[in-house]
Amino acid sequence: MDVVDLARAQFAVTGSLHFLFVVLTLGLAPLVAIMHTRYAIGGNPLHERMTRFWGQIYVINYALGVVTGLVMEFQFGLSWSGLSHYAGDVFGAPLAMETLLAFFLESTFLGLWIFGWHRLPRRLHVACIWLVTLTAYASALFIMVANSFLQNPAGAQEVGGRLVLRDFGALFTNPALVFALPHVLSAGLWTGGFVVMGASAYHLFRRTPEREFFTRSLRIGVLTAFAGSLFTVGFGYAQFGPVGSVQPDKFHGAVPGISLELMILIGQLGQFGVMFVLTPLLIRDVLARSRWMHPLLMLVTPLPFVAAIAGWIVREVGRQPWLVYGRLSVADALTPGLTRADITASFAGFAGVLGLLALVDYVLIARAVRRGPGRVMLGAADVPVTAEPVPARSL
Amino acid sequence: MDIFWFLTFTVLLAGYFALEGFDIGLGVLLPVLGRTPAGRDRLVGAMAPFVLANEVWLVALAGALFGAFPVLEGQALSRMYPLVVALLLAWIVRDAGLWFRRRADGAAWRLVWDGALWAGSAGLALAWGAILMAVVRGLPASPLDVPAVAAGLALLALLAWHGRAFAAWRLQEGARGSGRALLLSACAAAAPAVLVMAAAAGHMLGNAAPDRTLSVLSVMVVPIAPILVGAQVWVWRTFSRGALPTFF
Repeated sequence: MDVVDLARAQFAVTGSLHFLFVVLTLGLAPLVAIMHTRYAIGGNPLHERMTRFWGQIYVINYALGVVTGLVMEFQFGLSWSGLSHYAGDVFGAPLAMETLLAFFLESTFLGLWIFGWHRLPRRLHVACIWLVTLTAYASALFIMVANSFLQNPAGAQEVGGRLVLRDFGALFTNPALVFALPHVLSAGLWTGGFVVMGASAYHLFRRTPEREFFTRSLRIGVLTAFAGSLFTVGFGYAQFGPVGSVQPDKFHGAVPGISLELMILIGQLGQFGVMFVLTPLLIRDVLARSRWMHPLLMLVTPLPFVAAIAGWIVREVGRQPWLVYGRLSVADALTPGLTRADITASFAGFAGVLGLLALVDYVLIARAVRRGPGRVMLGAADVPVTAEPVPARSL
Repeated sequence: MDIFWFLTFTVLLAGYFALEGFDIGLGVLLPVLGRTPAGRDRLVGAMAPFVLANEVWLVALAGALFGAFPVLEGQALSRMYPLVVALLLAWIVRDAGLWFRRRADGAAWRLVWDGALWAGSAGLALAWGAILMAVVRGLPASPLDVPAVAAGLALLALLAWHGRAFAAWRLQEGARGSGRALLLSACAAAAPAVLVMAAAAGHMLGNAAPDRTLSVLSVMVVPIAPILVGAQVWVWRTFSRGALPTFF
């Protein structure tokens, strides 16, 4: 592998790891927000337990989304300084907005939500998780705007060997964006739905005491997956038109071609399965009572993750050899003077550390699922600030 | 317009050191101030609700650099390649320590992730010291040498002092007036970064994005700025006093 290949591999590995966690964040955030809202309105303790249990899964997953995202943000300047030189005046704007507007608020409000139990008034606390959801979706918007610009550099013009911004609005009406954004957001819902479904199936299969909790959760998971899969597939097919017009030979290579087939296979079979089998079985809780089905539900839980990564491979590999399509090649965007030793060391460091942490994170999520809603740390009682109780003063 | 974005960048950098500085400092002092597991839980509980709101200043800073000074972003990050990679790895390890330390039972588990929290915090301070030194010296070809290490150690000491001031204030251990001491240490923690920015001002202003890009950024960001500030103030109003949360 030469330096370009190594830098590409580093971006692909860290980007894929990042998206595995982001796709679940995007799906679970609105579900947790809805659960918390129902608790705030009705005061049903079951809804509080659901908020805390699924909220904890969401938060453990979120941790890896953040640390992998840090590497993504800095990698542009580290490995691809040619991109910031050539297109930074355009491409940098949506990235700046993602960090300054969306992620800044998302992180701040998430801190308020995680640590605000027993402290914030109930309504404001619920407002926090909705703001987290809103800003997470805004993040997705800005990142997809930036990515779509690389797929189809709309709204920019080359002046003196560099791209300058001509029409900011064109970044948001980019044909590479308009169907891809809802496709990604729906894929998040599908993933969130499947994780809730799979974890619920585990508890129902094991016949743990939390029968009502997980019967209801199973219903939420399947219905979310129903809506998510329907829109994921719909907006997936809808992209063939715009992609054909901006990148006609996108699916010609072996890797994008096979990845596309895999994604469509999972998407189509999964969507039919959810629509025609799982959703009808929700009537009278047949699915929750059909114990033989539960291992199957657990088994299919990873499929949306696989499809999501396949989707990104199609989108990114299908753009090669271009970084900015038709304008700047990946090889030309590589940081001048980047050595093999530099990129090998950073690749080993990032892939090693993030890969290990991702593994630990999934083990922790599995553990949190297994322990069930009875032993949740999120929202546990605070401890007094005094270290040791002050001894009573004797007279 | 370029002056406005230069000032925004400087405020973000100064804010990062004033705020995230005490998290880093407290992480470095974890084995010193927290001899027992319960003592470390207490220190982490003091900073936990602030960390997410503090570290995000650096994410915003990098975004502002890319948006308003794209050419410099490419230059600076790639010229300081090993330092930036070290900074990121330290940041990741520190965050993993915070998020994971209470996610499983057992003394060994907690010790491993407290170690990660400590090592990551120390790495952040050292890497930042070396980075500030490299910027002052105009991004030398090999940014890892004696002055870089010295700057790292000096910043580590400064942030440790700041972290101690924060712990004394939040845990109500210091004498009265510990709030003022914290304000002072926050200014001191931000001072090196502000001086570095003053030295780099000319170079930065000469490499800003064109006015059209900066206008678009301003139109989008300025109306939201009060919400950003409000959210930060809300964090401080909520978590400055009272019992310590136990999630981290």
